[in-house]
Amino acid sequence: MAYKPQYYPGNTSSAKNRRKHMSNDLEKMRDISDEDLTAILGHRAPGSDYPSTHPPLSEMGEPDDPVREVVEPTPGAAAGDRVRYVQFADSMYNAPATPYFRSYHAAINFRGVDPGTLSGREVNEMRERDLEEFSKRVCETEITDWGLAGMRGCTVHGHSLRLQEDGTMFDMLDRRRLEGGVIVMDKDQVGVPIDRKVNLGKPISEAEAAKRTTMYRVDNVPFRSDKEVVEHVQKVWELRTRYGFQPKA
Amino acid sequence: MVKTASVTDKPIQLRVFPQRLLQPGTAECLLNEIDQVKGVIRMLLNGKNLPRKVICGPGTGSDVNHPDRTIIHVGGCAFELHIIVGEVLVEVENETAVEEVKKACERALPFSFEFKRGHFIKRRPTLTDYGKYGFKGKYDETLNLDDERLLGLTDPNAKAETHLCMTNTGEKP
Repeated sequence: MAYKPQYYPGNTSSAKNRRKHMSNDLEKMRDISDEDLTAILGHRAPGSDYPSTHPPLSEMGEPDDPVREVVEPTPGAAAGDRVRYVQFADSMYNAPATPYFRSYHAAINFRGVDPGTLSGREVNEMRERDLEEFSKRVCETEITDWGLAGMRGCTVHGHSLRLQEDGTMFDMLDRRRLEGGVIVMDKDQVGVPIDRKVNLGKPISEAEAAKRTTMYRVDNVPFRSDKEVVEHVQKVWELRTRYGFQPKA
Repeated sequence: MVKTASVTDKPIQLRVFPQRLLQPGTAECLLNEIDQVKGVIRMLLNGKNLPRKVICGPGTGSDVNHPDRTIIHVGGCAFELHIIVGEVLVEVENETAVEEVKKACERALPFSFEFKRGHFIKRRPTLTDYGKYGFKGKYDETLNLDDERLLGLTDPNAKAETHLCMTNTGEKP
C-alpha cells in the first residue's frame, strides 16, 4: 500500500484546513493573469525578460557531481534567474492562512524555496520564475482571501488590528481596497503605483472565513475542543523536553 | 501665599473603543454626536497612522493617497484625519454627560463598542510641562499656558496647529 502522508491530526474544521494547506489540496477561488501577477509582485515589468544572475546551468559546464545528477534544478535555477521574494500578511480575524501554514505549504509542495516565518507575515524567497509559479498558486487558491490577507513586501502592519468597517484588513499603504464588492490592487507589493487595477475577486464572508480558517480561536473553533491536536502538541512538547534533557555522566 | 495647583477639578474620562476601525464618515458622525453632548471638555482620537508617502522599503517616497486621509467637519471646524480612527477618548464634566456620551455612541456606531471609564488623558501638568511652559509668575506657580485643556492632547514633538481643533472656543468648562 502506498504511503499517504497524514500531515496534521484533528477533526475540527481548523485541523482539516491545516491538512488541506499542507497537502496543497486547495480550492481555486479566482483567476489572476500572469501579467497582473507580475505587476503586483513588482520585480520586473510585465512582458519583459527575466533578468539573470548567471548563465543557464546547461551552458555553465558544471563539475561532475552525483548529487547534481540526482537533483533536477528548478526551471528558475536552470535558467539562472535572480532570487526574489513575495511576502504575505494574514489577519488574526479568521484569515484562511497563518504564517506557519504558509511556510508548511511552501516547504512541502515547492522546491528551491526559502520560507521565512514571522509573527504577522510570511516571506518566501526563490528564483524569479519559480516565485511566479508559487505566487500564482497562492494568490488564486483558498489559502489567500484578499480581504483578510495582503501581499505586502514592506509595511505589513495590520494583521493584529481590528478589521476596517468594510471587513477588510487595514493597509497603511492602501495597496488593495474594496471597490464595488471586489478587492482591487493598484500598487505593487511595496506600494509603488502600477499601470493597472488588478481585480483580486470577491472577499469571502465572515461566516465563510470562520469555516475556512486554519486558526483556533475561542470565538470560533477553540484549540482545546480538538482533543487529538492537544494530545499531539503535548506529545511533541514531551519528546522535545526529553530530547533536550541530556544528563551528563 | 503661593498658588501651586494648576488643575483642581476632577473631570471624568471615557474611552470609546469600537469593534471596527472607523472610516472617515462614521468617525465624523460619532465625533459630531459626542460634540453635541453638554459637558464634553475635550476629545482625543487614537488610531493607526495614514502616511502621505511610503516611508520604508524599495518604494520609499511614493505617494500613498490613502482615501481615508480626508477632511472631516466636527462642530463647525474642518480638519484632516491623519489616522484611521481606532478609539476616541472623551473627557466630560459630570455623570449626566457620561450617559449622554454613551447614547451618542449608540446612535452613531453601527456596531458594538467598548465604553470604559478610567485615566486616559493627562490630567495635570508634569515636570516636563513646567520645564516647557514655566510658571505664570513669581507668586503664581500654575502653568504658564492659557488653556490647560491642551495638555496631553498631542505628542510632545507634534505641531499643535495640525493636530488640534478648537470648537466653541468662547465657552470654558
